[in-house]
Amino acid sequence: MASDAAQSGPQPAQAGLAVGHWPHLTGEETVAQIMWSVVAALVPAAVAAGYFFGIRAYLHISLAVGTAVITEAIITRLRLGKTTLRDGSAVVTGLLVAFCLPAQARWFVPIVASAVAIAIAKHCFGGLGCNIWNPALVGRAFVHISFPTDMNPSSWPVLTGDHFLGDVGTAVAGVPEGVQAVTGASPLALAKGIANQGYADVDVLKVLTDAHGRGLWEMAVGTVGGSIGETSALLLILGAIYLVYKGWVRWQVPLAYLATVVLGALLLPLYLAGGTGGTEPAAWQPILFAMPDVAPRFVLWHLLGGGLVLGALYMATDMVTSPITNRGMLIFGAGCGLLTILIRLYGGYPEAVCYSILLMNTATPLIDRWTQARIFGYKR
Amino acid sequence: MDRATYPGGVRAPAHKRTAETQVEALSVPARLVVPLSQSLGAPSRPIAQKGETVKKGQMIGRPDGYISAAVHAPTSGAVAGLERIIDAATGRPADAIAIEPDGDDAWTDGVGEPRPWQDLDADAIREAVADAGVVGMGGATFPTHVKLKPPKGKDVDTVLINGAECEPYLTCDYRVMLDRAEDIVTGLRLCMRATGAERGSICIEDNKPAAIACVREAVRSQDGCDVRVFQTKYPQGAEKQLILAGLGREVPTGGLPADVGVVVQNVQTACAVADAVVRGIPLIERVLTVSGDAAAVPGNFRVRIGTPVARLLAKADVADGFEELILGGPMMGKDQFTTDLYVTKGTSGILAMRRAAAGEGGPCIRCGACIRHCPSYLNPSRLSTLGESFLDGNLDAIDIAMDHGLMDCILCGVCAYVCPARRRIIHLIEMMRGERRKALQREREKEQAQKAERMREGEEVGL
Repeated sequence: MASDAAQSGPQPAQAGLAVGHWPHLTGEETVAQIMWSVVAALVPAAVAAGYFFGIRAYLHISLAVGTAVITEAIITRLRLGKTTLRDGSAVVTGLLVAFCLPAQARWFVPIVASAVAIAIAKHCFGGLGCNIWNPALVGRAFVHISFPTDMNPSSWPVLTGDHFLGDVGTAVAGVPEGVQAVTGASPLALAKGIANQGYADVDVLKVLTDAHGRGLWEMAVGTVGGSIGETSALLLILGAIYLVYKGWVRWQVPLAYLATVVLGALLLPLYLAGGTGGTEPAAWQPILFAMPDVAPRFVLWHLLGGGLVLGALYMATDMVTSPITNRGMLIFGAGCGLLTILIRLYGGYPEAVCYSILLMNTATPLIDRWTQARIFGYKR
Repeated sequence: MDRATYPGGVRAPAHKRTAETQVEALSVPARLVVPLSQSLGAPSRPIAQKGETVKKGQMIGRPDGYISAAVHAPTSGAVAGLERIIDAATGRPADAIAIEPDGDDAWTDGVGEPRPWQDLDADAIREAVADAGVVGMGGATFPTHVKLKPPKGKDVDTVLINGAECEPYLTCDYRVMLDRAEDIVTGLRLCMRATGAERGSICIEDNKPAAIACVREAVRSQDGCDVRVFQTKYPQGAEKQLILAGLGREVPTGGLPADVGVVVQNVQTACAVADAVVRGIPLIERVLTVSGDAAAVPGNFRVRIGTPVARLLAKADVADGFEELILGGPMMGKDQFTTDLYVTKGTSGILAMRRAAAGEGGPCIRCGACIRHCPSYLNPSRLSTLGESFLDGNLDAIDIAMDHGLMDCILCGVCAYVCPARRRIIHLIEMMRGERRKALQREREKEQAQKAERMREGEEVGL
């Protein structure tokens, strides 16, 4: 029966001939190849995390990846009677979970986040390919709500450049002696502070430039406060370039995402005092017109700050939870960007990337339906 | 060079091991088994009796219905009788006429002599083509005389001769283009006259420069005819994609090439048309490629229809223990469960492969590769998950698949080729189509039963 044959591979037959359905040739790429390449692309940022945040970053990565792999093994054994660890998807999820956590979070936070990501976000919805929301982000959202003090520390370790592998993981209890580190707000928390105070009362340029000596270059390199894998924009971009080149990350999502954030940051009205240094009365106006000389720095601040680069390049581009059509990817990316910048500029909460992507994941089936291609031979 | 193409498709490794191998004419085997069903449509009816002596080119199977093609004796000899064989195209039992050659290989009367063909009109050309039992030799085996008669109200202005040969491994059409360019052009002109087309093109992929040069030379002096060069990309030779790439015309859904004024014929079909009309020779032999990674001495062979496949495997020195036998190309050819098969008019390739490629498919990760490569702009990922959903008991899945273009799939297999999860997309699509056909059949039967019931009731009332 056709339906039986459709479920299984080639059938043994007379004369030892295997019979399968055409095509009899297959391409080179495999799911495992794609997943392990994503892992490889994340390795530079993972290695750097130890440099920026100390040995504790590696502890978090090990716990998150280990929990993801063990959870995946147990559940696939129960559900399918076999383990599917070789496809590498659990390792990707574990790595991305770890990347979203602050180094000073307590040790069980990565374990809980990873277990939720794999057990609930992935396998409760049917496993690989069937989940609606990005598993890593669901895990992060879960611990974000469950352990707010771990996830929103008021003070982040900010390492100075000559530090290497010092353990600042105990920063919850204070930075140990002998480690050259200073603590301070993450760039985004700073930005949120400015937003809450009202941009009008603050010299935006000065804050953006001078905050703790953390300039844009430090933000690009990653020596700023933040979650362990999100701070180094350069290393994340390096990995993503490889994935885009291989075609496993589609450029449509990050481009639309980042472009929308840029446009939003430039054009959405802020309560600003006009003129550099706030020389004119405050009014709701876009920063592009009110302070054209500060605007580029403000945009770069938003691009490099927080989890935007990590989210736009590695989370929003998750194949399973983002649209499958090229046009759909553009819409999806733009939606993520719009939600991100709206939450950042007007919301009461500094980090917007996680929830923006999760919300747009929800819209993915609808976007796919909207953007179905015209089938050959039909008129539009 | 202007190289036409279409959206989608894939650049697959060509594996054209036999491109530089000259066509070898194979001697008549000790026994020929000529299938009666060698064309799309009804099988032909056997008209040769057991024990009867037949001549080469004598009709032994008469067409049965409009869409059916005649079958001729490939050599002279004695009819050994009717046999049940496996039809390689369907995998089902079918009838065939076995012939024991007498070694004379003597033509039946009136065959092989040049005929006054220059002034034949369209009907006469079609008649000659029908008498010769010509069918589409690219593999589809649609009777050519039917294709050469455009439906009423459809004006055909262009004939395309398909020399794309986009399937990996296959090189028989390439060799025929090198050897018989003149005949191909004659066939093209005859097809143009039969359909009333003013323009004709021979379509060749750009990985065959020798064939392009050769056919271009042959076509030079012919008005309205030219060679069109296409990008090397599978499935360039698919009819609808060839028309879109070559002429910018899109065959409407459910339609035929004639709907956009085009008729497409394979290069070997064009040769067969020339043979039939110019020399009165029926279609009793073809050129095919025997290859595959288990073939030690692959080659291109001119063989009689009815030649045992096992003989060709031996000819190519296929080692024992090969695991997969494909008739046709590796992309759309059919796996065979036995080597006890015979060459038909549609057998373009015989491939012996060491390792069966397909394995168990994993879940779709929605990478979208299938969508980006689908030449019909479908969402194969969605169709395949709908197929799985149907197997899980969701009977509505096929109706949803219909809205997603289930019937618009050309089954080229590009989606399954590029799929990193190795999903059996084409298998699932074919399964759904089969289930839909069955459902329609059941509905028809139910309607007929109800009609019969009503009539009986009416009769009873009438009594």
